Amino acid sequence: MDSLITAAARALATGDPLGALNRVALRNDPPALALRGIAMAQLGDLVRARALLQKAARAFGPKEAVARARCVVAEAEIALVSRDLGWPTKPLEAARVALEKHGDWVNAAHARHLEVRRLLLIGRLDQAEHALAELDPAPFPPAWLAAHELVIAGIAMRRLRTKEARAALAAAERAARDACIPALLTEIESASRALNTPAARLIARGEERPLLLEEVEALLASKALVVDACRYVVRNAGTTVSLPRRPVLFTLARALAEAWPNDVSRSTLLARTFRAKHADESHRARLRVEIGRLRKALRPLADITATKDGFALAPLRARDVVVLATPVEEEHGSVLAFLADGESWSSSALALALSASQRTVQRALDELAEAGKVQSFGRARARRWMTPPVAGFTTALLLPASLPGD
Amino acid sequence: MKRAAAEIIREYGPFPGVQEVHGVTFDGQRVWFASGDRLNALDPESGKTVHTIDMPAHAGTAFDGRYLFQLFEKNIQKVDPKSGRVIATIPAPGNGGDSGMAWAEGSLWVGQYREKKIHQIDPETGAIQRTIESTRFVTGVTWVDGELWHGTWEGNDSELRRIDPQTGDVLEELAMPSGTGISGLESDGGDQFFCGGGPSGKLRAVRRPKRSSKTG
Repeated sequence: MDSLITAAARALATGDPLGALNRVALRNDPPALALRGIAMAQLGDLVRARALLQKAARAFGPKEAVARARCVVAEAEIALVSRDLGWPTKPLEAARVALEKHGDWVNAAHARHLEVRRLLLIGRLDQAEHALAELDPAPFPPAWLAAHELVIAGIAMRRLRTKEARAALAAAERAARDACIPALLTEIESASRALNTPAARLIARGEERPLLLEEVEALLASKALVVDACRYVVRNAGTTVSLPRRPVLFTLARALAEAWPNDVSRSTLLARTFRAKHADESHRARLRVEIGRLRKALRPLADITATKDGFALAPLRARDVVVLATPVEEEHGSVLAFLADGESWSSSALALALSASQRTVQRALDELAEAGKVQSFGRARARRWMTPPVAGFTTALLLPASLPGD
Repeated sequence: MKRAAAEIIREYGPFPGVQEVHGVTFDGQRVWFASGDRLNALDPESGKTVHTIDMPAHAGTAFDGRYLFQLFEKNIQKVDPKSGRVIATIPAPGNGGDSGMAWAEGSLWVGQYREKKIHQIDPETGAIQRTIESTRFVTGVTWVDGELWHGTWEGNDSELRRIDPQTGDVLEELAMPSGTGISGLESDGGDQFFCGGGPSGKLRAVRRPKRSSKTG
């Protein structure tokens, strides 16, 4: 490195981005562009930072693969914290491979970590877990370790493993304190808050109460038959009947579970399922068909018996039947309920699952997005929707451990 | 042109408190190297640091027999090695893009890294006397027995190169192992070079090829 680049890099490393900019502000060679990019990122001008890093990456020579790769990693991280989830992942992967090939293990690990955080963010939990398992966090600096533990906590919370989530959050907090990054600590606090805020509502024998995530976990491990309106499934002791694509059946199951051990009248079921105020014979015929379908679907878990007025749920093994619902039932609640599984959905898949028109679903999504309750990534037909993750990735920039151009 | 693999004789460091080695020079007994915020004097026999001067030291280092010259930001400082006092400051020819530096025949020779140039300058005023073009990024520069050598460093590849001081033609090349960079460079006046290892924080001694008959 040359004299001014060294001086600027030293300024940057000691947390003086303005000092770094002062030294290389007028230079347009690739190491100077990269340093300016990172300094701008630290100063919060992410748009300018990305442009500078892209320019630097293009300008490095064919032999400067490591320097180029570090720029790509920094750019990918800026995209991630700006919630630009549509950015292409191929360059990041190529950068990671280049860094591994040249023995820059720390930045290679950082690149993989960014991949994992993105997977978690777009709801690919299985892939995120898989990729996380391949990552050795041992050589991570404290700030990266904190982000790593946040990802573990985020997955654990999605998977309803609260003990693991708590342990990961505690580890994240220790690491963030070592790193002395207040923004990271704030993110960890908000993630911890999510663990101490009701995550769902329990409806059992006509009564309701809020449930913490831990209680949800305990409930799902209990012997009760749970009609889960957060995920559109019915489960009991490890057996799950998944109904996200059969909303009518789910609505019926929920109505029956809310009334259990009592029955539900045909008119109530018709009103809830088909919004029919005055049921005629064709509605009754349709109800019979749907009850028949539900009976078949729930066969591993429960029977549905006909009563004088209507129908009643008869669990096979469970001694209790409960409904698990979202904490607040709100407008577009059904859309939110589908998205609450942490997976990413296309609007057409949601429309299918909700038996609604794509226009209706799109309108609901737009309103929810405006309220900050859902987010999307990708464009046109590749666009996917999801609820903001409970925790698991930070908006604080960590950036490569060695500067581009070292 | 002769090509060979560089033969590393000895490795020094990493040294406590030194993250990176920039410029390197030799005062006849001690190896001086720049490490960002200080100059370090190393006894090459014992490998121990015997003296340090706190001062900005961002790139090349040279010694004229009495004073040290040190690149910092866009300038070169002339320093008394005993007291650490700055005697004079002159502008660097590359306006901050400078990397290596050597002293020979009354001039300073300063490498301009990405411009692939070596400037001969007046050590009193900083005025450029002439410029030699290289084909690679120039890091350290040194003169020994009338031979002009410079380090190159592009990505993972580094070499020691002997070039014709008149034409810039490459006469000899010693390739360093991949991933072993050369920042600063200085000959001990005999059969070895001292090479700064950049961010590795190391200093390496490399054997200078023997001459059957003395060449110019």
